[in-house]
Amino acid sequence: MVKLTINGQEVEAGRDSSILDAAKSVGIIIPTLCHLKGLEPYGGCRMCLVEIERVSRLQTACTTKVNEGMAVFTETEQINKARRAMLEFLLINHPLDCPVCDKAGECLLQDYAARFGGSEGRFAEGKRTHPENVNDPFIVRNMQRCILCARCTRMCGEAQGAYAIAVTGRGAHSFVEPFSGDKYNCEYCGNCLTVCPVGAIMSRLHRHSYRPWYVEKEVETVCGFCGVGCTTHLQMRAATIIRTLPKLGTGVNKGLLCVRGRFGYDYVESEGRLKTPMIRVNGVLEPASWEKALAYITTHLKDIKLKHTSKAIGALASGMCSNEDNYMLQKLIRFVIGSNNIDSTARLYYAPAKAYIEKIFGAAATANAISDIEKSDGIFVAGGDPTAINPVLGVQIRAAWRRGAKVVVSGQPGGLGNFINYDLNSVPRHEETVLNTIVIGLAEMKGYSGKNSYIETKIKALRVPCEPELRATGVLLENMEEAVDDLSGLKNPVVVIGPALLQSGIPSKNLFLVAAIAYLIDARVYLLSRKANYRGLIDMGCVPESIPGGLPVRPGQLRLKNGVAMSVPSEKGMNLFEMIEGACNGSLKALYVMGENPIFNLPDREKTEKAMSSLDLLVVQDIFMTETARHAHVVLPAAAWSEKDGTMTNLGGRIQFLRKGSDVPTGRSEWRVIAEIARALGMSETYADSKEVWEEMTQVSVLHSASEYEDIKKGGLMWPYGSVQFQGGAEDFGVEGLEILPAVHHHSSQCSTEPCKLSLLPERSLFHSGSTTRKSKAILSVSPEPYLAINPIEAGRLGLRNDDTVRVKTAKGSAVVTVKIVIDCPEGTVMLSNTFEKVNFNALTGYSVDPVLGCMVLTDNEVNIEKL
Amino acid sequence: MDNTIGAAGGAATGVAATDMAAGDKSRRLKDKIKVLKKLYPHTRSVLLPALYAAQELYGWLGEDALEAVSRLTGVPSAEVKGVVTFYSLYKTRPMGRNVIYLCTNVACFIMGANTLEEFLEKTYGLSHGETTADGRFSLVIMECIGACDKAPAMLVNDDCHFNLTIDNIKAILDNYK
Repeated sequence: MVKLTINGQEVEAGRDSSILDAAKSVGIIIPTLCHLKGLEPYGGCRMCLVEIERVSRLQTACTTKVNEGMAVFTETEQINKARRAMLEFLLINHPLDCPVCDKAGECLLQDYAARFGGSEGRFAEGKRTHPENVNDPFIVRNMQRCILCARCTRMCGEAQGAYAIAVTGRGAHSFVEPFSGDKYNCEYCGNCLTVCPVGAIMSRLHRHSYRPWYVEKEVETVCGFCGVGCTTHLQMRAATIIRTLPKLGTGVNKGLLCVRGRFGYDYVESEGRLKTPMIRVNGVLEPASWEKALAYITTHLKDIKLKHTSKAIGALASGMCSNEDNYMLQKLIRFVIGSNNIDSTARLYYAPAKAYIEKIFGAAATANAISDIEKSDGIFVAGGDPTAINPVLGVQIRAAWRRGAKVVVSGQPGGLGNFINYDLNSVPRHEETVLNTIVIGLAEMKGYSGKNSYIETKIKALRVPCEPELRATGVLLENMEEAVDDLSGLKNPVVVIGPALLQSGIPSKNLFLVAAIAYLIDARVYLLSRKANYRGLIDMGCVPESIPGGLPVRPGQLRLKNGVAMSVPSEKGMNLFEMIEGACNGSLKALYVMGENPIFNLPDREKTEKAMSSLDLLVVQDIFMTETARHAHVVLPAAAWSEKDGTMTNLGGRIQFLRKGSDVPTGRSEWRVIAEIARALGMSETYADSKEVWEEMTQVSVLHSASEYEDIKKGGLMWPYGSVQFQGGAEDFGVEGLEILPAVHHHSSQCSTEPCKLSLLPERSLFHSGSTTRKSKAILSVSPEPYLAINPIEAGRLGLRNDDTVRVKTAKGSAVVTVKIVIDCPEGTVMLSNTFEKVNFNALTGYSVDPVLGCMVLTDNEVNIEKL
Repeated sequence: MDNTIGAAGGAATGVAATDMAAGDKSRRLKDKIKVLKKLYPHTRSVLLPALYAAQELYGWLGEDALEAVSRLTGVPSAEVKGVVTFYSLYKTRPMGRNVIYLCTNVACFIMGANTLEEFLEKTYGLSHGETTADGRFSLVIMECIGACDKAPAMLVNDDCHFNLTIDNIKAILDNYK
């Protein structure tokens, strides 16, 4: 610690702290324009000049470190004069068009000019001019207003790692520009918007439609787009979200957002929102009152239970709904109706992967703070691009890399392309061989710790790939060796697993190999989660195999404080796939679908459609008339993410509070409607608010028994929520094909002979998360159309150019779509997103269920591409 | 040590140039940059010479050239553009066969650089940033080129010419066809 005085006041500060921070610690605020906590000090704006005793010239407080005995003055005549002069300089070229500038009212330059003066310039020369650029879908650039503080470029590079903008030109004619000089064509995280102190970089979404003083209410909530759970603030005027704003330094995201979180929220105000309940009358869905709709549901549920018993009734929970919504649905199905048939689309990848990892390592394995990634010294990524699936988690990987961490990516690096040192991008279907080689290499380097004999036995059983097998991967052996070297030396490693790891090949083998890497280097595991609350819904018991809190289903009774007993049904529940099957073969008669769209979100659309239309009762509770809702007997309008209070659990196990910005236009959020149905079916409890739902849940769930709602409200609660840690783990687990490696095709230049077979894979786009983003006008303005992504080499073989129209044909269907040549698309594959109504991935492919993991494996995805 | 973008050179993603017609230039640039990389401790430091090499191959630094340099050095393309637009010796638009870089900074100005500027305007119809109709000359007005002791001075392409006067400049320029 160092002692100094600031304005005569004694201050103690760390040896490395700047004068600016030292002053702030005792409440002395020094004005700054370019400084931003979290970015490197820049010393560019000269607003923070301070006087230091025995130093002849004024010094910038942001870049000058404290020294023992230093005497600093922040408010003297000389400093005021300097600040005035600085502002006068800045205003030489600033247009002072505050009346038409959206920033007015929250503009630092305006505030400082008002406070320190300097707005009357003495320069006779004209101001520089530079046309305002409004060509970009999201960002309006007015470089006349720019003061060149470089906050935006530093944010873009240092924090976001996108490096999309830079200062171009020289001197007074320097401007901030993206490479194209026009549209940004970047990740559109919009973090440059957060940090611009003036009106130079502004959002186009609320251009000229809003003033900062229009904000009537600001609520802190959690973004609902993916499993990271970024803290964001909704600025409301009446029932409208004016904008979402992160607060720098707060939340797991530390004030960063991605394109979906920052711009995609307008779907909640889409005209397509459902406004009333609907009942199918003579084959047509017609508006109905809540009373009628709920009466219809309860009568039919009673009927079906009577005729076919409770095992003919099931439900699908939602990764977009709160824990309270999901708990209540679980309660209705399991405790009130008496069936374990409850599942969700987490079954496709997240739930089986989580269960498998926890079986090997124990329940704590996947509960890790996302903010720890940044502090890690090495990250291994397999199964997808984190910067597209969970963008802010991806940014943390980039941040770790900047601090010197090793980043090793198996497969296409995507948004991590600039942050790796070598390539482990294998030919499709041969990723397994690469992982296998790395595991064997690590086992040799690190040896066995003996902690887990099950996994060690299996690692020892792996076969060393032979030369042709290694060559078939397309990855250089030296790269694999380098990966082993890098990974084996890590002290604080992280393994990130994405959905693609489980979708093809042998899922259990792939997941086992990555788990083996995590085991050998003793890494923390993160499972990417496309939806915000997949982890929460599993914790809430929305899986057939376990009750709230994660304990396995065992027939018996759970007793609440008030003495009410709830019985856990004994019949084994059906999972998502079994329910689809069951609906087709008649063993499932009723399905309650909350905030999910299985017809759109599952491959083999035809089968799901058949299942949904075979049911005697299909209830869909959603905010939009989805593909599934069109088949429903009753459709119930739901509350959007910004319209409900409750909690969500992020992919690392952190429970955070979701606050509503406005009320549900239709009056009832999901859990309230479900509770009403449950009461009509015999439930006695009533709930005033989401807190009472949570408190009941804590009596059922061992995991949440010690959690306090108020603690979650205050700032989130990390796993295991104050409860006794139930470790579990170190169970034996299954792996298929342990000693088998992908076959080597001798004609590995596959496409030398016609016809060329390509695999269709899902594109997990940064811009779209599926059903909701396709209703966001903002997101559609940057990604409006489906396209088929194809590697340049494949495109060359097929004679395709950008924007050509092609027919894509699989065993399951065909679609007409335009082509986009994408370097990041692996050779031998083409990619299509599952976002748009007319052309979507799931309508073209089929699936099978992996026998070991119970996850989805893609099938029927061999495509023929015909140029039209 | 901390990692820096571009420090290790172009990473794995720079597989193929999308435009096959530019493939040849891109390949030759790749070879040149490969040689340059050996001269510097970090690939990032190669940026300036790599840009000169690209300028020589492509004639001027358009988007395709900048993207190629970005891909081959690993320095983000926006940053490459920032560097190119900062320095006046990089050509950010197509230019004539010979480029005259005339200094008009204080020393050269006092020694009559403005009369040279007028002369060029009158004789060749050249003003700052322009190219003659026959493509023979382009003019760039420079800040100091570091030859104040021999002012006024200019560069023509890579050659320095000092102590210029209206009487000797014509003869010098006549050597450049």
